[in-house]
Amino acid sequence: MADFGSESSEKKEEFFSEAQEIVDGLGKFLLDLEGAVAASRVDPDVINEMFRAVHTLKGIAGLFGATRMSGMSHELENMLDDVRMGRLDLTSNVIDLLFKAVDLYTHILLFERGEAPDPQQEIAKLLASFAAVTQPEEAPTSNIFTQFDLDPGMFGVLTEYEEHRLKSNIESGLALFRLRVRFNLTVLDTALEDLKKKAKPLGEIITYLPAPSTDESDFENLELDILMASKSDAATIDTTLSVEGLVVNPVKRRSGGGPPPKAAAAPVSKSPLPKIGAPPSLPPPTIAGPARLPQDLAPESHAAHGAKSVRPAAPAHAARTSVAPQAQGQAGQFVGKSAAQTTVRVDIRKLDRLMTILGELAIVRSAVGRLAERLRGSVEHRELGTDLHRLHRTFERQLGQMQNGILEVRMVQLGPVFDKLQRGLRAISREYSRPVNLVITGQETEIDKLIVEELSDPLMHMVRNAFDHGIEIVEDRLKVGKPEVGTIALNAFQKGNHVVIEVEDDGRGMDPKLIIASAIRKGVITEDESREMSARDAYRLVFMPGFSTKTVVTDLSGRGVGLDVVKTNIAKLGGIVDVTSEVGIGTKMTITLPVTLAIINVLIVEIGGRSFAIPLASVEEAFVYDPSLTRNVEGREVLSLRGQSLPICHLSSLFQVDAFDDASDSTRKFYVVTVAVGIRRLGLLVDRLEGQQDIVIKPLGRSLKSVHGFAGAAELGDQRVALVLDVAAIVEEVLAGDQSRFLAMAGEGRA
Amino acid sequence: MADIVRSPGRDLRRANDGGKRIEYLAFTLGSQIYAVPIQHIAEILKPPPITEIPRAPRNVVGIISVRGKLVTVVDLRRRFGLVESPFDRRTRILLTDTGDDEPIGLLVDEVRQVYRLAEHEIEPAAALGGDQPAYIFGIGRQDDALLVLLELKALIES
Repeated sequence: MADFGSESSEKKEEFFSEAQEIVDGLGKFLLDLEGAVAASRVDPDVINEMFRAVHTLKGIAGLFGATRMSGMSHELENMLDDVRMGRLDLTSNVIDLLFKAVDLYTHILLFERGEAPDPQQEIAKLLASFAAVTQPEEAPTSNIFTQFDLDPGMFGVLTEYEEHRLKSNIESGLALFRLRVRFNLTVLDTALEDLKKKAKPLGEIITYLPAPSTDESDFENLELDILMASKSDAATIDTTLSVEGLVVNPVKRRSGGGPPPKAAAAPVSKSPLPKIGAPPSLPPPTIAGPARLPQDLAPESHAAHGAKSVRPAAPAHAARTSVAPQAQGQAGQFVGKSAAQTTVRVDIRKLDRLMTILGELAIVRSAVGRLAERLRGSVEHRELGTDLHRLHRTFERQLGQMQNGILEVRMVQLGPVFDKLQRGLRAISREYSRPVNLVITGQETEIDKLIVEELSDPLMHMVRNAFDHGIEIVEDRLKVGKPEVGTIALNAFQKGNHVVIEVEDDGRGMDPKLIIASAIRKGVITEDESREMSARDAYRLVFMPGFSTKTVVTDLSGRGVGLDVVKTNIAKLGGIVDVTSEVGIGTKMTITLPVTLAIINVLIVEIGGRSFAIPLASVEEAFVYDPSLTRNVEGREVLSLRGQSLPICHLSSLFQVDAFDDASDSTRKFYVVTVAVGIRRLGLLVDRLEGQQDIVIKPLGRSLKSVHGFAGAAELGDQRVALVLDVAAIVEEVLAGDQSRFLAMAGEGRA
Repeated sequence: MADIVRSPGRDLRRANDGGKRIEYLAFTLGSQIYAVPIQHIAEILKPPPITEIPRAPRNVVGIISVRGKLVTVVDLRRRFGLVESPFDRRTRILLTDTGDDEPIGLLVDEVRQVYRLAEHEIEPAAALGGDQPAYIFGIGRQDDALLVLLELKALIES
């Protein structure tokens, strides 16, 4: 464990969340990188970003005494440095190691939190693999630079990194250009950044140097010589960069000339090349090669300053440009600094507190509303009442906006969760040599932060399940004419107040008959029960405890659990899981989740003199109950509604509260509230409808954990607290039949 | 709470008569006086409307909201197997604060006074003979009063 000494837990928490954020970012870069390698279009900036991210990680880990993390980061940093310097090729082996490192980071963070065993051995193993791939090899570099008429003055001061970039650009067949531009010293940094940004679509700026000024008396401007590699021509570069006074000159390729023997013999990276001859269009170089400052040669300097700083190339210019390297060095030191300036990391509990206060404000608002009504009703205070009523309306509107604002802050995109899944799937796909593509849509879908945090485990199980049980081995796929590479699709989208996430595979599908047979064998159901089962019922069996076929602990989840846990975890978030499948075509699992857990719009109903809240998100409609339209089917009351059967649940008997709905009083009216969860619908019989309200839902205490059917409770104003129905659980309990009802009763007896 | 500590029933003479003393808050259920360490009681409430929880354990009366937080209320009469009695103007809810556990509301008949008990005034529970439940921690005696001392953690967790 890290020794945090006297650091406050808040600092520690900040470290964890910042580190986790960087690690997640690394994972994302890695996925990009893998795609780029596959398309052989690696953006060097991605590797640079990763390098800096690891560097930052090393820094903050060291600060917090997380030695395992800083140690691993150090090695990883070295490896990434090798990659960006071109000393190490990005083979799939190297990428694998990088993926492993990202996963290990997560493990280390869990360990530092005390939630996972010490990963020391895994780290040692990974570091050994690092060492194996980064064996220095002194491959003789064929000198391709000699193909170009390069100015040795400029060439001589290239850093190792720039040299590598130059080489790799020439190898990709890009042409070289020499640009001359003049910038005002005061805006040098921004102007350069701007130029680089504009140059990016065309190619890459390799290096820039202060050029000998044509006007010795000009101390306000600095002329720069820029070496750029591009696939475009000089005219295009000129118009795209559109900088005043820009001169673009192509660097000529030597016609058919083999490299001069002297140049070929010289090891490129060790000393400046001998003079090859300056391009005639440029003023003769006056910058001497050896003017490179000694610290520029040290690798640490690359790390701290990146390769971006303008180097004073000659003592004469050093004084004039010394501002730039410092400023740039600082900016490049920590990754994402500019991003950090526009975002604030907030503990979600603080938002919860705000939400609670807002809930109480809403209660005050109702009280003020009632007061206004009372005043308006009285003769002497009517005018006062009207004024108060108007104020109340404004208050109400602004409170609503504030509520939306806080809710918006809590919402995060599903993207990072999906990235994690992609890494996980990639790992198992390679492990089992069963190629599979994860196709993701809707990663920008937003959902409550608290829900997102609980989502990745269940989703990982589902993806893993799709891979294990869905995707066939290659031979089997080819036999039935499917593409060799399997596909698992992860789709997310918002649907009303819900977010739907689908995990769909194009695998072998599920055969209801086989599922039923397996369930009987495992004692999950009896043969009698199996007789009345539809295909739908059969699919649902895979979520029953004891059905899971996996007895092996998966390395992804670390817990050998089945889909029943997935279902329970999703249910805890107020969501449900449904399955559809077709033999030979594939399987689709659908999770339906509420968008937020914080504030919900509910329908208040009365049962046996008590108020209950039903989340409006699951309510389809409410209507007056007509007993003459109901029939008894298999011991269950069913109402025919527009040609469809709706099972009816008497909430008073489910909750065992005294109610007046025993039908003895035929003059009383009752109401049916139709709730829907996924595709399942249920009619809840209630005594009275009270109205709609926005509530802040709060969880019931631990001492009430054994009580099923309630998602929590909420204050309604006027000091009353109403229970909020857990519609998913009730639908499940009622429609799943006697078994789970029995379980609920057993739970009650136990408590 | 401050009111209780300064309640007239308290015997101030005992404040300084040597030895370590622990303060207990005494309350009644029926004719018996019980007491809990006052450091574990955060607040004494007049019962607000209580929301019943269908299908909850029998000892649970329901939930109340205390400044925006939901608190489960346990009826100590039911807990101890006594006959239930209707609320009256003396009925109170003791809000527990044991540090780790979630706060629980304990429904009691009447809150009496704070006793400062010295060690020699406390007998072990075994003095009552036989197997006493884990939540009975001992018997306190002071003047004519006989207090059944309760261990809150055991009471809440069981």
